[in-house]
Amino acid sequence: MGICILCLAACSSGPSADLQYIKQARSIGAEWALINEQAETHQLTATYVASMHQWLHDGLTTAAQSLSEPDSAYGHEIQALLAEPADAAPETLRGHVNKLKRIEDQLESA
Amino acid sequence: MNPLELTLGIMTAVGGFVDISELVFAAKAGSTFGYALIWVFAFATIGIIVFSEMSGRVAAVAKQPVFNLMRHRLGLKLGLVTLIASVISSLITCAAEVGGVALILNYLTGAPYLILAVGLTVALIASIWVIPFEWIERSYGLLGLFMVVIAAALVAIHPPWHQIASGFVPQVPKGLTTKELLTFGYFAVAIVSAVMFPYEVYFYSSGGIEEGWSIKDLLTNRLTSIVGMGLGSLLAISILASSAQLFGPTNIDPEIPGTAALQAAIPFGKWGLILALLGMFFAVAGAAVETCLANAYSIAQFFGWKWGRHKKPWEAPRFTITWIALFIAALAIVLTGVDVMTLVEFAILFSILVLPLTYLPLLLLAGDRKFMGQYANGAIAKVLGWFYFAVVGCAAIAALPLYFLTSGGNG
Repeated sequence: MGICILCLAACSSGPSADLQYIKQARSIGAEWALINEQAETHQLTATYVASMHQWLHDGLTTAAQSLSEPDSAYGHEIQALLAEPADAAPETLRGHVNKLKRIEDQLESA
Repeated sequence: MNPLELTLGIMTAVGGFVDISELVFAAKAGSTFGYALIWVFAFATIGIIVFSEMSGRVAAVAKQPVFNLMRHRLGLKLGLVTLIASVISSLITCAAEVGGVALILNYLTGAPYLILAVGLTVALIASIWVIPFEWIERSYGLLGLFMVVIAAALVAIHPPWHQIASGFVPQVPKGLTTKELLTFGYFAVAIVSAVMFPYEVYFYSSGGIEEGWSIKDLLTNRLTSIVGMGLGSLLAISILASSAQLFGPTNIDPEIPGTAALQAAIPFGKWGLILALLGMFFAVAGAAVETCLANAYSIAQFFGWKWGRHKKPWEAPRFTITWIALFIAALAIVLTGVDVMTLVEFAILFSILVLPLTYLPLLLLAGDRKFMGQYANGAIAKVLGWFYFAVVGCAAIAALPLYFLTSGGNG
């Protein structure tokens, strides 16, 4: 019984299974915005910023590829976030983050 | 007791307390649950203090390292199962640390991650080969103290101290959904595992024997365990509290170790960032060395080989080949391209499963008056030891279901 529950938890698909990737993408977007905000005020080294951009972009790509329903509202939002340039304005990035957060909250309350 | 030696020992324990798992889970715990998991860090720290002190005492009095005891107390079959499980656990942990150090160096230099992993592994092997044993742990631990900048950064951002203080009281936040409760449980188990990693006890007790501890070192052992690990834990709690203050409200669940360095950059700018990254680099590199040596100690002690870094490498050839092979195996895991965070999660899971088997023989021997004489566990050590043994047993049972049900804490 316990094993069945674990398997179901691990193998499910659809929006509820995608929730973890939506959360991941929302978090990466928020982190990206914070880094760009700090970089604008010269609080960070250029090497750190470039390196973090690369790792965050990789993480976002993985999250996008892991979605079981990429052709969904959240799939499109994650793709829109991925399409932003590395030095995108923090406000623009937070716009995507807020949309993903709303989707996340809706899915969690459903 | 030499005060300088004692101070160095304590500072080493402080700087060496945080490793890649604590770095990641402290930051994630703070952003996800605010200050509500601080007590789990404090609780697990008491556990590791109890078992470190016990393993150091056994090393000083009985001159027996943990794995030697394990074979005698658990028998050959169960001892072998424990050895295999702990080797897998420490190898994955070592790979996570090697990957983590390469990642941190990537933030500092921008050089390609995999090339850094190869270069760093060579450098770590060279450092173990060249540096005298007592300075291996000390140099990494003391340089890891750069991470104190994160504690200073916490003070600089003026956090709500009363909320941090209330985080030390055992609690489960009110109003959580079932899913959030499970996630809270997963984080609690992961923090216990990260703080009480089995390699720490293997390394600490074997290190005591390497340094020729005797009964006159018992006070040093006790003070190093209590003060050093206690202060080290405050460093991990600083990461959690900063994360709760800076990342939680901005929707960030730190996914990579570099995020924690932002905590120092926000109040202190570039220098804060660089100091935090340097501290993280040395602390995690030290953990990589400790996990690798702990693994080699375990294997050599189990099979009764000559072991120890106090010997010349060629005087303990099988031990030397083992630790070099383990470093290369850890590097091979990193070179497969597996994500460092995935390695951290697996290291946490495997470790919690091994913990009860690590601590049981230690508890039995440290409490045996025939073996330990007047230095056997007293009432407090007995009660605390068996209590924490029960805790890690329950955590081991809960770890896998919680991992799957919460998708590794990602909800």
